[in-house]
Amino acid sequence: MIEYQEATKRYGAGTPALDRLTLEVPAGETCVLVGPSGGGKTTALKMVNRLVEPTSGRVLIDGRDVAAGDPVELRRGIGYVIQQVGLFPHLDVAANVATVPRLLGWDRRRIDSRVDELLDLVGLDPAIYRRRRPDELSGGQRQRVGVARALAADPPILLMDEPFGAVDPVTRGRLQEEFLRLQGQLRRTVVLVTHDIDEALRLGDHLAVLAAGGRLEQYGTPAEVLARPATPFVADFVGAGRTLRRLDLLSAADALATGAGPATEGPAVDPGATLAEVMGALLTSDAPAVRVAADGSVMGWVTLDSIRAALRVEDAAQGAEERP
Amino acid sequence: MDNRPQLWSETTTHARLVALALLLAVPPAVALGVAAARRPRLAGLAVGTAGVIFTIPSLALFALLVGPLGLGTAPAVAALALYSVLPVLRNTVVGLQEVPRDAVEAARGMGMTEAQALWRVRLPLALPVVVGGVRVAAVTAVGMASVAALVAAGGLGDSIFAGLRGGDETEVLAATTVIAALALAVDGTLALVERGLRRGSAASPGPPGGGRR
Repeated sequence: MIEYQEATKRYGAGTPALDRLTLEVPAGETCVLVGPSGGGKTTALKMVNRLVEPTSGRVLIDGRDVAAGDPVELRRGIGYVIQQVGLFPHLDVAANVATVPRLLGWDRRRIDSRVDELLDLVGLDPAIYRRRRPDELSGGQRQRVGVARALAADPPILLMDEPFGAVDPVTRGRLQEEFLRLQGQLRRTVVLVTHDIDEALRLGDHLAVLAAGGRLEQYGTPAEVLARPATPFVADFVGAGRTLRRLDLLSAADALATGAGPATEGPAVDPGATLAEVMGALLTSDAPAVRVAADGSVMGWVTLDSIRAALRVEDAAQGAEERP
Repeated sequence: MDNRPQLWSETTTHARLVALALLLAVPPAVALGVAAARRPRLAGLAVGTAGVIFTIPSLALFALLVGPLGLGTAPAVAALALYSVLPVLRNTVVGLQEVPRDAVEAARGMGMTEAQALWRVRLPLALPVVVGGVRVAAVTAVGMASVAALVAAGGLGDSIFAGLRGGDETEVLAATTVIAALALAVDGTLALVERGLRRGSAASPGPPGGGRR
């Protein structure tokens, strides 16, 4: 678990880069720091591995102040993926991935097998890519190597600073998907920085929305941030499409109406389908309802009314959570 | 008269003077460059001083060094070494400053100590530029080493000055041609090294994974 306690960074006299940030990132979760530039996202991220030292306040990992120990030791236990990847251009892929294991003094055989394992994990065939140099890779491949390098010594914590910033939108989407798959498998404690709200909503278990001056505007799950933006800034940042985005986060099962179905046979969807997909099915058919079916047996229906109800239920639940 | 044996021995002496001077100058110049790369004031001072030395006419510097060092190899090597500092120092500073920031940041962020970041990331990436500086220094020294004859250090300058005194233009021309050839050979060799480094021949050393420390 990572805890920020009143973490503040000031450069000179002006507005702080990060202003009394207090939040907890539970172990095994992804926390996305999101906001416009000047919000102190990267500053907050770098406080975890002490590339930035707080002016006041502190950062704890599993209850221990990161400032207590040796920064070099600390960093070897934290995976780090930086903006523009930062691969070492004079080293091949294998040597790049092996960076931290070598610093830790692993023997060669162990490093070799670890490198192969990691390249497999990020979807690069070791036989092909081991000996390649960074300048022989595409942007997306470089990002994968960057992630493999960060995971090399199996760190429980991963810091990712705009990890998918330097690639085209298609590759970006694919890398995000892979990140979700990997994180589902590995369950690291991840702090990820992005300025892209869509990326934040997609990847984060929790979002910390930071505004200029390093102020935390809201900390919550994607559903909470979408349903109840805490401030006008957050509402504005999340944007006008937020209701539609919420439909991505709910499934057909959340809006299931049971009992007597409507007369017309509508198209059928899986209970795991998102409400956005259900909406799509509703809009493109003439039927007033979509059947939800699993293994061939109909579980119920989703109608516009049941979707409205689902959103309202969620609003109420989150309202209750926010005001205990 | 066949003066080939003499020319050959003068060539080896000439080359030895240059090699000794570089051996003497390059390590401290690189070390100073490393120290100065992140200290703009020190960089200004060091490059400035080396620059002033570089502008002293070679004849004057050789002569000045005869005082403390006497005649022979010592003042010649010392003078050539002093001239060699500037290009190597300057290129080391520039080379290190040009290392991509994200690579250095990644090195720190992954837990390299300052020394590890220097040896494993910063210096290897700056190396082609440093070698470029050595190349300039070496070519300059090959030319300047002709003056070494005047402080009794030998080398191809012996033939040049003897030829000038005796009115033997062939001898002067022969020695000058050898100096030019030597300079071109040194330049070409170091250019190849530099190009090889730029292509990134500093791959992970050894077999796959190359876990050598």
